[in-house]
Amino acid sequence: MSVGDVAVRAAGVWKRYGGGLTQVDALAGVSADFGKGRFTAIMGPSGSGKSTLLHCLAGLDKPSDGKVFLGDVDLTTLPEKQLTHLRRDRIGFVFQAFNLVPTLSALENITLPLDLAGRKPDQDWMTTVVDTIGLMDRLRHKPSELSGGQQQRVACARALVSRPDVVFADEPTGNLDSRSSGDVLDFLHRSVREFNQTVVMVTHDPTAASYADRVLFLADGQLQSELVDPTAETVLDAMKQLETQQDTADELAG
Amino acid sequence: MFKLGLRSVLAHRLRFVLCTLAVTLGVAFAGGAMVFTDSLSTALKKNFAVSTAEVTVTPTSPIETGTDRPATFQIDLVDRIAAVPGVAAAVPQLLVSNVQILGPDGKLLENYGLTSFGAAWPRDPGAAPFKLVDGTAPWGGDQLALDESTASRAGYHVGDQVRIVTPARAVTATLTATTTPAQAGAAAGAPLVSFDGATAQLLLLGKPGWTSITVSLKPGSDANTVSKAIGDTIGDSVTVRTAKQVTTDGEHDLDNTFGGFGTVLLLFAGLALFVGGFLIVNTFAMVVAQRSRELAMLRAIGASRGQITGTVLAESVIIGFVGATLGLLVGIGVAAGIRFGYELLDLRIPTASLQVTPTTIIASYVIGIGVTVAAAAPAARRAGKLPPVAAMRDDVHVPERSLLVRLLIGAFMLLMAVLFFGIGVSTGGLPGAVLITLGTGTAVLAIVMLNPIISRYVVRALMYPFGRKAPVTLGRRNAERNPRRTSATASALMISVGLISGLLVIGASVKASIDKSMVDALGTAEILITNDGTPSFSTEVGDRTAKIPGVQAVQRVRQQSGEVGRANVQVTGVSDGTLAGPVTTTFDAGSAAALDAGQALIPRNLAKTLKLTVGKPFDLKTTSGTHRLTVGGIVAPNRQLNAVVVSLPTYATLGGSPSDNLLYVEVAKGNQVAQVRTGILDQLRKDYPTLQVRDQEAYAAVAREPVNGVLIAVGFLLAMAILIALLGIVNTLALGVVERTREIGLLRAIGMDRPQLSRMLRVESIAITLLGAFLGLAIGVAFATAVQSAMVDDGLAVRDIPVLQLVIAVVLAVVFGVLAAVWPSRRAARLDVLQAIASE
Repeated sequence: MSVGDVAVRAAGVWKRYGGGLTQVDALAGVSADFGKGRFTAIMGPSGSGKSTLLHCLAGLDKPSDGKVFLGDVDLTTLPEKQLTHLRRDRIGFVFQAFNLVPTLSALENITLPLDLAGRKPDQDWMTTVVDTIGLMDRLRHKPSELSGGQQQRVACARALVSRPDVVFADEPTGNLDSRSSGDVLDFLHRSVREFNQTVVMVTHDPTAASYADRVLFLADGQLQSELVDPTAETVLDAMKQLETQQDTADELAG
Repeated sequence: MFKLGLRSVLAHRLRFVLCTLAVTLGVAFAGGAMVFTDSLSTALKKNFAVSTAEVTVTPTSPIETGTDRPATFQIDLVDRIAAVPGVAAAVPQLLVSNVQILGPDGKLLENYGLTSFGAAWPRDPGAAPFKLVDGTAPWGGDQLALDESTASRAGYHVGDQVRIVTPARAVTATLTATTTPAQAGAAAGAPLVSFDGATAQLLLLGKPGWTSITVSLKPGSDANTVSKAIGDTIGDSVTVRTAKQVTTDGEHDLDNTFGGFGTVLLLFAGLALFVGGFLIVNTFAMVVAQRSRELAMLRAIGASRGQITGTVLAESVIIGFVGATLGLLVGIGVAAGIRFGYELLDLRIPTASLQVTPTTIIASYVIGIGVTVAAAAPAARRAGKLPPVAAMRDDVHVPERSLLVRLLIGAFMLLMAVLFFGIGVSTGGLPGAVLITLGTGTAVLAIVMLNPIISRYVVRALMYPFGRKAPVTLGRRNAERNPRRTSATASALMISVGLISGLLVIGASVKASIDKSMVDALGTAEILITNDGTPSFSTEVGDRTAKIPGVQAVQRVRQQSGEVGRANVQVTGVSDGTLAGPVTTTFDAGSAAALDAGQALIPRNLAKTLKLTVGKPFDLKTTSGTHRLTVGGIVAPNRQLNAVVVSLPTYATLGGSPSDNLLYVEVAKGNQVAQVRTGILDQLRKDYPTLQVRDQEAYAAVAREPVNGVLIAVGFLLAMAILIALLGIVNTLALGVVERTREIGLLRAIGMDRPQLSRMLRVESIAITLLGAFLGLAIGVAFATAVQSAMVDDGLAVRDIPVLQLVIAVVLAVVFGVLAAVWPSRRAARLDVLQAIASE
């Protein structure tokens, strides 16, 4: 993959918590490229550091060591204000829950990053995004009047509305039933296929991961393996293998 | 349950501190007032009790009189009382509070609010109200004595020349003695000048007379028996009191005097607590909302409703207790500070240690805890109603009473308020103003009830000019999202702003009315001469003024107080030409000519109240007794003649003393007013340093001056209420930040920068502030306008709405709103984005 095709790059990223005897390495030298127009899933058992990696990639958290590039911008050296504006203009977010501001309508929530930047939305793109989430008739509703699945789809639309360089999704289907999950994942998938967006998603659900082009497996803060063009079955197998490896490692260590 | 309450207090220091501060301020006002008045009156009472003559006789005055013009009697009374069985000695005393002492620099000595007295040197030192410290008793017109404290304050020593001014004349005399009070009472601690008896009568009364007789008893006589005997012998014309009665009466007077001051402080304490109450109501509503899941969990594991209500109330008891304790301490500190200030000025006010009575302590705690618990009660009750199943639900809503009930009660009260206003304006006068005040109180309560319903629309309208940028919209929506909370916060400010704007409008109207009535009343009287300190001055001033070049004529005005029916009136004697030009008068009936016939002119109000018409007789009571007068004319409302007006000869027959209170000077044609004024000053200032010679403009300004003083004093106290209201806004914002931590995290994650976050909170704060300021302004201006309409004929003829000042008040409110947001936004900006998103 050439540099021009990379949306986000992690280079030897470490994240340490605490110090001395209680020091814990949440990330221990992770290097990875996330290609433009690609849908990448990050998987791993709980405590593997997958969420920490996402936060570092998204500029929400600073790595203890190593570098993170968005395009050719080094996020690790960016001051707070620029980092905030970069998140606003070039990154989209979908969290597991509580994605929307309760005082704003669905539409206002979607345009919020643009409003904060003081920019006008691109009407054609707006229509495309809103059409795709299929909530045209519910745009004036407040988040409390929408179902969980609808709320997540609004969050996805908000993440995409500014045509960000990359969308980060942190367990976006964690709180949803399977049908709503399908809707949200379909939408993310289509945004990559049809609109050439870049999505990086953390998940622990093999079905969700199967929507991605590529799956990275993380354990103990290190990249273990990766899978291209995954299916739910291959992901599940890879996960099982990972657990076995880990059990063996634990036994050897113990 | 108490333990849970305590834990909750300790876990949330922020809301605890703000709530406690509100209670502290209120209790400090109340406690300070009680400690101060108790201390002062105890100190004065102690002096009362130690030394008063066994029996005191004073002439009975038909009307209430001040110490500056007490009723007097002639010396023969002394002999008659001395003859009463059981009386060992009867000594006449003369004590009048109408002397002014000048310092060595020739200027009036600053007395820090104390009244200075003039007295006759006692014939019998044993019964004297003061005793010699140094020197020899004054004798004759060129000798006087001063009390030690005043002498040392002014820097006078025995042998120095001292200048004083009395209503009779200005005197320069040799200081022959210094004195110290032997006996408390009216003159204790006050500046005191004394002369020999004859000189005192001449200078202080302008005629022979005495003001009281101190009686000592023969051994074995009983005070009560003797005083009864004196009463029986002399009759109703004197009042006889034993030492004990004098003490009781004096204490009663003192209680009344300080009671008034205490009442004002207590009123502000009430206001502070009322405004603070909103803060507490809000805090507890939020506390219960935040802890609802925890409380429901307690219910689920077996806590009863009462126990849940109990934990919340326990928290309020703790806050009330701590607030009351701190408030009491602050109050004692303030009272001590005032006392220390008096000591610094060396005023020799009799001091006792600070009196912190059990009543004060109990009252402070009852007030502090009572208000806090009462304010927390609604939230506690709602907490008790939380269903246990709420513990399992995701989003918990604390049950709240429906807004419909509020709407109905509020609308009904608003209707009542409108009724009160209507009746008040049409009734007019003071009763009308009282009705309007009641109506305003009702309107305030109505708006407090309706506010949660209307606030959304008012906020939207008021915030329109701030645009629709994302942080602005978010801030405004945050202010709208919990109408009860927003309106409770704004209501506290509304009350303060309402009082201030009402005060501003009424103050401005009073000043404008004074100006207008002054212009209306003063005709050719270009220059007005009055005296500072004591109201009346020597007739010599008028005599000499008349001879000054450029003076056309001088008219004299003399004043004393009287009663007609049960109404207190001013009795004014005017010289012949006064109504012919210097004072502009409009007669409803009769004319000025009636004065020459010994008849009286009365103001329209009095004629209306007493149903008097021209030619009818009426009884006027003055210090010298009851006099029958005939109505010779009825005068339309007039600032200079709002009194029973008689000619100078008639005035003398009413017992008035021959000294002037006011001179109207007419300037001869072709002369400059300013020049003539300078001429008068050059001639008279040397002998009468306290004379005030003013042109009409300056005279009106002096009449306006007290209004400014009152405005500033009340404004200062109201500022305290605003401070508490602002604490409420800080509280609401800060608790909002805590409550919305996750939302703030989300906003920061998707790209809201810190300035935008601050702006969002600032807008919320401004929205609340504007809501309160706007409603307060509306209520305050409506109240003041209605009062002015009702009192058009009672001194508030002109309505003046000081737009600029009101605009400044609102702008200040917004500035304070911005300031209130500073600390909460700093807290919000410091939140770590990741932790905020992850928080529950």
